Amino acid sequence: QVALLFLSSETRSDLPRGPTPEQVASSLRRWLPSAALPVAFTLIVLVYVGSRPGGRASACVLRAGGGERYAETRRSAHPGGVAGWDIMNVTKGGLVIFTANSTPSGRELARRIAERLGVELGKVQVYQEANRETRVQIQESVRGKDVFIIQTVSRDVNSTIMELLIMVYACRTSCARSITGVVPYFPYSKQCKMRKRGSVVSKLLASMMCKAGLTHLIAMDLHQKEIQGFFDVPVDNLRASPFLLQYIQEEIPDYRNAVIVAKSPASAKRAQSFAERLRLGIAVIHGEAQDAESDLVDGRHSPPALKSVAAIHPGLEIPLLIPKEKPPITVVGDVGGRIAIIVDDIIDDVVSFVASAETLKERGAYKIFVMATHGILSSDAPRLIEESAIDEVVVTNTVPHEIQKLRCPKIKTVDISMILSEAIRRIHNGESMSYLFRNIGVDD
Amino acid sequence: MPNIVLFSGSSHHDLSQKVADRLGLDLGKVVTKKFSNQETCVEIGESVRGEDVYIVQSGCGEINDNLMELLIMINACKIASSSRVTAVIPCFPYARQDKKDKGFFDIAVDNLYAEPAVLQWIRENIPEWKNCIIVSPDAGGAKRVTSIADRLNVEFALIHKERKKANEVDRMVLVGDVKDRVAILVDDMADTCGTICHAADKLISAGAIKVYAILTHGIFSGPAISRINNAPFEAVVVTNTIPQEEKMKQCPKIQVIDISMILAEAIRRTHNGESVSYLFSHVPL
Repeated sequence: QVALLFLSSETRSDLPRGPTPEQVASSLRRWLPSAALPVAFTLIVLVYVGSRPGGRASACVLRAGGGERYAETRRSAHPGGVAGWDIMNVTKGGLVIFTANSTPSGRELARRIAERLGVELGKVQVYQEANRETRVQIQESVRGKDVFIIQTVSRDVNSTIMELLIMVYACRTSCARSITGVVPYFPYSKQCKMRKRGSVVSKLLASMMCKAGLTHLIAMDLHQKEIQGFFDVPVDNLRASPFLLQYIQEEIPDYRNAVIVAKSPASAKRAQSFAERLRLGIAVIHGEAQDAESDLVDGRHSPPALKSVAAIHPGLEIPLLIPKEKPPITVVGDVGGRIAIIVDDIIDDVVSFVASAETLKERGAYKIFVMATHGILSSDAPRLIEESAIDEVVVTNTVPHEIQKLRCPKIKTVDISMILSEAIRRIHNGESMSYLFRNIGVDD
Repeated sequence: MPNIVLFSGSSHHDLSQKVADRLGLDLGKVVTKKFSNQETCVEIGESVRGEDVYIVQSGCGEINDNLMELLIMINACKIASSSRVTAVIPCFPYARQDKKDKGFFDIAVDNLYAEPAVLQWIRENIPEWKNCIIVSPDAGGAKRVTSIADRLNVEFALIHKERKKANEVDRMVLVGDVKDRVAILVDDMADTCGTICHAADKLISAGAIKVYAILTHGIFSGPAISRINNAPFEAVVVTNTIPQEEKMKQCPKIQVIDISMILAEAIRRTHNGESVSYLFSHVPL
């Protein structure tokens, strides 16, 4: 039941304003004790002030169960009547933030974001049953609300994905108004290209999420920007670089004597965008043993690399592909007597980073930092970093890495919950997100 | 005419090999591995262009990993221009969580029944089968049990229970008479086995001379094995939709019915465009 009360004040603009909706609401609350109101009673009080187009009016929605929603409405340019009003920002529901992570370390980021936004995390139970099936039970209503599901990728990637999918689907079937996935490190992003007879898993994952009911995705520093195109829904690819740049400027005392290093030509663009913003030079490492296992290029060769045994038509032979030969490791650029800062988006298998650090040390760098957005640091990474020439590894808290930090004190964390909570707030309020992308270059 | 190519996921290699043997084929070459960051990687090792692909993956063990592997394999085959991809999932995961929404596939689904194999096993392995009684451990399985009882021409009983919490059993009431009979409990899956162990106790105390349990999917998670070892079962029989070697070593009461011929025959019939419904009531040789 909804009751609409119109209180209009004098149309002349020189008279003082009528009562504000807040004042009306508090008076009404005093006159109508809540016991007299049935449970589903909603009272909308409209106070209309000023008849000029552009005049403001405020609406106040009073609920029997407590809680009010205020909204500013603006009269549209059409003359006359209630039909001319646009109502902005009156959300019948509200905002709910969930995390579908089952481990406490995974929930840490969500907890921080919720703290910054000043809301409580939604009540949900996520666990694995005895037969290893994931079970998600949402314990509060999401009907008509904007749901944000924060998911960080833990050790068990496939379970994390399943938890997220089940959660998204559960929200969809419970009539949430919109479901936004906040997945700072998007899993399987390294498998976004065709490899021999492989599968483009990123596309598969994107299809699964959209099918489950996701209406929006917030990610951070996607490994390949093209992954945005795999989704049918809007994707916001936020950047961690402002935080990393701030860390460099604040925590590295003589950063003006530094050189930004790309550990392979593939990350040269990122290195350049960092260097530009810090007004530093860059260096690029090029040579053998640079490809991590999952970054291998497409293994299918066109034209074929080997001469086939019998050419059917000698005149139609396809020219052979000359196999690439990797030169020995070289550093293009001068790092002698400087601090070397290696930047990359993901630091997972650290063998190549350690090798690059060795090379840089040989060429004269006196301090070596590694800055990466996503610190996955799997298997033996902490030990290798501890024993290497790297002085510090700086990662953000998109991927939980507490265990690795305990084993290697060289690892430092930068908190990026601020930008995620700001993104959530702006999306929920329908505000522009362009502020979060200022100072981001095309190559970042 | 496309050929059959059979791939096996990493969940139940043994069953896939048996199915391949029955079809007279070799398993297709596929490499499944995990990167150091636990992401699954699948690479098909032979050409599937224009072929009829069947992927055998059971929802057991690490379910989420196996599910992801299956999805990636299906995706890879489709991208590699296979003519058709069919997933053979003996034990379908997450089936218990959505009891209210069944049938949400957009594609053809063939749900095979283990019933013919179960009937054959009963006739061959339980000497007193003509005088036995089939029991359902809950009211939901009544249809399954009456179907078996009718085909064997024996009587049935059922146990009605009230549950307070999931996976914890409360009061059990036996409906039917089991005195001096061999009781055969029939259910679709055995997870923690709380239900069937309680049922077995109930049947023994109601006068049954022997209790068998026949379950299609033997998940046996948590305390299941120790519960079965302490329960008055003559034998607990499961199919090999889920690998059982480990469990059989820990519990001598477990016996396995091989259903690879049903799967192989289904694959053959699907490939040749023949009717699969023959398999709903007959066990292929």
